[in-house]
Amino acid sequence: MNVLTRGVRGAIRSPLRSGAIVIMLAISIGLIIAMLSARAGVETKINDVKANAATGITIRPAGVMGFAGGGDPLTADQVSKVEKTAHVTSTVSSLTDQLGTDDTNLTPSLELGKIGERIQRFEARGDSAPAGPVMISGDGASGKLPTPRTTVTGTTDPNSIATNGGKLTITSGSTIDGKGDALEALVGTDLAAKNNLKVGSIFTAYGKTFTAKGIFKTDNRFQDSGLIVPLATLQSATNQAGAVTQLAVTADSSDNVASIVSSLKSSLGDKVDITSDQERAESSVASLSGISSLAMTGVIGATIASAVIVLLTMTMIVRERRREIGVIKAIGGTNAKVITQFVTEALTLTIIGGIIGLALGIAVSGSITQGLVESQANQPATISSSGGPRGGGLNRVIMGGQEGLRAVTSSVTPATIATGIGLTLLIAIIGSALPAWLIARIRPAEVLRTE
Amino acid sequence: MSIKVTNLTKTFPAPGGDVHALSDINFEVKTGQFVSIIGKSGSGKSTLLSQLGALDQPTEGSIMVDEQDITKLSGHKQTAYRSKKIGFVFQQYNLIPNLTALENVMLALEFGGMAASKRKDKALELLASVGIDEDQARRRPGKLSGGQQQRVSIARALANQPALILADEPTGNLDSDTGQAIFKLLHDLTRSHQTTIIVVTHDLDIAGRTDQTYQLKDGKLVNYKIGKK
Repeated sequence: MNVLTRGVRGAIRSPLRSGAIVIMLAISIGLIIAMLSARAGVETKINDVKANAATGITIRPAGVMGFAGGGDPLTADQVSKVEKTAHVTSTVSSLTDQLGTDDTNLTPSLELGKIGERIQRFEARGDSAPAGPVMISGDGASGKLPTPRTTVTGTTDPNSIATNGGKLTITSGSTIDGKGDALEALVGTDLAAKNNLKVGSIFTAYGKTFTAKGIFKTDNRFQDSGLIVPLATLQSATNQAGAVTQLAVTADSSDNVASIVSSLKSSLGDKVDITSDQERAESSVASLSGISSLAMTGVIGATIASAVIVLLTMTMIVRERRREIGVIKAIGGTNAKVITQFVTEALTLTIIGGIIGLALGIAVSGSITQGLVESQANQPATISSSGGPRGGGLNRVIMGGQEGLRAVTSSVTPATIATGIGLTLLIAIIGSALPAWLIARIRPAEVLRTE
Repeated sequence: MSIKVTNLTKTFPAPGGDVHALSDINFEVKTGQFVSIIGKSGSGKSTLLSQLGALDQPTEGSIMVDEQDITKLSGHKQTAYRSKKIGFVFQQYNLIPNLTALENVMLALEFGGMAASKRKDKALELLASVGIDEDQARRRPGKLSGGQQQRVSIARALANQPALILADEPTGNLDSDTGQAIFKLLHDLTRSHQTTIIVVTHDLDIAGRTDQTYQLKDGKLVNYKIGKK
């Protein structure tokens, strides 16, 4: 039996006490693993958000926000300039329009409501409006009655409509080719239900016959009451060749966003409004950074607690077995051998606690991560309600960020486990340092003095 | 192993002034001699044994063991000296409680540098030589009687064929018959292996049967009785 075997046997010498110590260590190490997993998951999400959202730049015609304001759409020439700008990796062009009752055989699925009536009050006085029922106002002036409308988005990438920043959810059928010019459309769930549209159904818009190629769902009622068609199709149908009302640009790195914005402002002048998602992305991950810091604090706290548990336990054991240590030294045991035996005892207790703690940590890491994320995600957030989803990319980033917050999952990676094992060994080493020093100080002569 | 102690002094600091546990001790032990040291409690018997076993450093003086002054050895060499040349037998046996009798003896063999593959057979042989059978060898100390534990302790002391055995009240916790049997075991060793034994005891009967007896009185060593039984 060598010194290591003696150390292992020494660790289980008192099963009750060893069991209690192992349970305490398991809880602490479990907390370390859970916190490390939560932190890894959060860090992954932060990097993901920064890598994606923080590289976004949105360009709109100056003075336009959704369907409010006024100005000229971006031209094909301007879009081409943007595409050729250094560090721009991709662009998504969109053009939005609204279908009045005379433009389509579809019945809008959105209620007009007081907000809609307020927006259309000028048109009701006959200032300007799509064709519709006539309203006679109290002063005798005539105009069109306010009517709900159906929003049409022409885009080169239908996924840009997704409100979570990811891929658009197609509940039936398939997506459309945004870069094509086919008379096909993706129909929002609510609009499809209102008009009994299914995949393959046809409807008319702008005097043309469209085919419903798929039904999409975003869980946003405004979006789910609209249509998505290829950009070129909408440009052609509305006689706006090359027109774009929003251009979403992706930079190759968040580090280059500022230089791209500067370059675009220089090349496009004051005809456009340019906003980057970088600051909003930083803001949206701030709460995640808070969770990451909290998790790290938890890791440090639990590591210290575990080290103190091992230290106090081993100090108690060394004091109890002072005589035994003296005997071992008296019969020829070196300090190194005795210390190795007791460090092995500490390691054995810590490793058993570590294995149980690892399993415990993995088991609870998901719920702990969700608890931390939910508590942060439920903090009041400032989200603009103006403009609706078409209000632009900024809102989309924030909404995506919030949904992303809740989508954070704990990440038990090999790195997490390696860190956990490293900390466990650190705990054993720190916890054994003082006892080892005490062992070295015990003089074998004390065995005889206590006779 | 011959031992020559010259002007050995051990002083402990105390609040009321230094305590002289050993004062100018001089004596000599020849190879194979069985020597006893008697004295009242606190007379310095255990302190003297600690110096002889290199468990503690004296304040002054020298202990020449086979022409080598063990008080001048480094800590590492003192450990080697203890493991290879000295065997300790304690009044309280001092066996490691969570190791079996066999493992206790194997522990001393390990410290003596014996190869792991040979330790078990050697330990069983040593235990058999002190009257511990294989069944008893596999028991932990708590499952053995006092006499059996002391036999295991002697087997452990003999593990590395030491030239000197230092025994501190080896029969102090044993009944008369068992004490006599343990004494006989130690006595036979001096005869069969030429092992030098220095035993500290209160038992004047045992002391009287050793080759030489010294008395420690107030830290000073005096010849008490010389004779063979």
